[in-house]
Amino acid sequence: MQEFETITRPAHQNIYKPIRATVDHVIRESPTIMTIGMIPEQEFRFRTGEFIEVTIPGVGEAPFTPSSSPLETTRLEVTVMRAGYVTDRIHQLKKGDVIGIRGPFGRGYPLHKMYGKEIVILGGGCGFAPIRSLLYNLMAEKEKFRKVTLCYGSKTPEECIYKPFIQELRGIDKFEVFRSVDKPDETWEEAVGVVTLLLDDLKVDVPNAVAVIVGPPIMMKFGTLKMQEMGFPDSDIYLSMEKNMSCGLGKCGHCMMGKYFVCKDGPVFSYDEIRDQPDIWK
Amino acid sequence: MPDSFLISDQNWDRILKELLTENELFAPLASDDVLEYQLVGNEQDLSRIVYNHPKPASPLKTFFLPVKENVTRDIGKERPRIILGIPACDLAGLGLLDEIYLQEPLVDPYYRARREHTLLIGTDCHSIQEHCHCTSYGIRPFPQVHADLGLVRLGDRYLLYTGSEKGEQFIRRHRDTGYFSPAGEADLGKAEALREETTRQLQEKNAALPDYEKTGALIRQSEESIWKKYAATCVSCGACAAICPTCTCFLLIDRPGFEKIRNLDACQYPAFERVAAGEDPLADRHVRFRNRYLCKYVWKPSGFGSIACTGCGRCIEACIGKINKNQLFVELSS
Repeated sequence: MQEFETITRPAHQNIYKPIRATVDHVIRESPTIMTIGMIPEQEFRFRTGEFIEVTIPGVGEAPFTPSSSPLETTRLEVTVMRAGYVTDRIHQLKKGDVIGIRGPFGRGYPLHKMYGKEIVILGGGCGFAPIRSLLYNLMAEKEKFRKVTLCYGSKTPEECIYKPFIQELRGIDKFEVFRSVDKPDETWEEAVGVVTLLLDDLKVDVPNAVAVIVGPPIMMKFGTLKMQEMGFPDSDIYLSMEKNMSCGLGKCGHCMMGKYFVCKDGPVFSYDEIRDQPDIWK
Repeated sequence: MPDSFLISDQNWDRILKELLTENELFAPLASDDVLEYQLVGNEQDLSRIVYNHPKPASPLKTFFLPVKENVTRDIGKERPRIILGIPACDLAGLGLLDEIYLQEPLVDPYYRARREHTLLIGTDCHSIQEHCHCTSYGIRPFPQVHADLGLVRLGDRYLLYTGSEKGEQFIRRHRDTGYFSPAGEADLGKAEALREETTRQLQEKNAALPDYEKTGALIRQSEESIWKKYAATCVSCGACAAICPTCTCFLLIDRPGFEKIRNLDACQYPAFERVAAGEDPLADRHVRFRNRYLCKYVWKPSGFGSIACTGCGRCIEACIGKINKNQLFVELSS
């Protein structure tokens, strides 16, 4: 296992007990995706790529990587696609509602391994959420990186999330953004097709670059193949894995992916760590 | 043997009687039905305690991980507990539980509290059951790990030996009674001979069964067809996992008021790994069935130091589909 940074947590804390957080704002990003901003009852720190468990009391709990900046310690955002029972209830949240959060859990992005390098980020759909948090981090330390390229794909222009953030990003030197959609409408002026096509036109100094991929399993699979084709070694391709999770603590067993607990050993893995494990694209 | 003592059966009962006042005492109690760890509720129950017997029907794990538990409540003060008559397979199972639930900094406070206030008294097995196979996985049929004390009945006396600091404290606390005398060579020799005999029986019975490591290698190389064959009668009831001393997967259930209930769960139940978007790596029954063995013999050994199958054989006894995993492994190895 690569040694990523980890946060030491107080041992006396009950690992199952959420702290309270009050919903501060909700932003409709697309017909199926919403961002929930919240204010935790106490200072809350996380490293980019680590995740939290969001509790809707009496309903359930689900894991999300915060989409907000890890530099903010008094507020937090998660961006949630409506997909099941818990996320359906999350989409009904309103300002003032009180929810619970546990964490942060897991192993996030190894920023220190990215210093001095060019970073190629491939994102799809709601996979933009952890990427946005990573981008905030990179923006704050941009003198430490050579260049950051984001290639983002969604099904339709309507489902393209974080539109104001993309504008902001495009105005920052060293940062480039390319987008594609599967089905364009008459207003769409950017690329059309699967997101991996965006990589074809990039000029990347591969030996001095790392790749980050987050998105639906099928996109992660073909994204990884593409990055390999471009010459990235497996150890420089970072994937953020998603599995069914319950505890977030490396105990309940739901997220086991071969020998790994995705919640504790991941969710960020380099491809060489997981390529021999079963069902990584499921 | 570590520090070993002899005590007469009457004096041992006197000690247990005294312990009943301040502790909750559990032991396998003789019954017309199956043998189970049960609460020793009164002095009369003491005569029903079964010593030197292979495993009770249910595993030791539920003393530390109840099937259902509120894990957001405050930990109150509980009476100290003593569990008596634990066979080696159940004790060995605690290794993996400790690694998972006591791992710093993510310690399960409820598990820790129970471990801390429970005294474990192991026992030697002087007989074997049909599916016992601990020796195939390097475990001998007497307490070697995790027992605070070990206890062997030899006729009308008991041989008691210490296994931990907690066990030594126990002896020190009761030493003034004058009940204990040092064990002599003859008694130790007798106990050892009985151990050898049980070990011999187990080895003979399971001669064809591959060892733990070999089983892992065989599973790794196995074809899908054998899993389909053996899973044909599986009904995904999860009994194998429920009864297993090392299966501890769970699901957190949310209750109003930010309460969470930790419910033991099993990878044998459909949808155990299904995600909201619909993907389910364990959708097929034979894949789920194989998953439990991959976990025990291939994945757990690569991440943990403790054994994930202690050879108790309960999963074979509990299976309503009459699936015998040992038969499967013998077939794989031939």
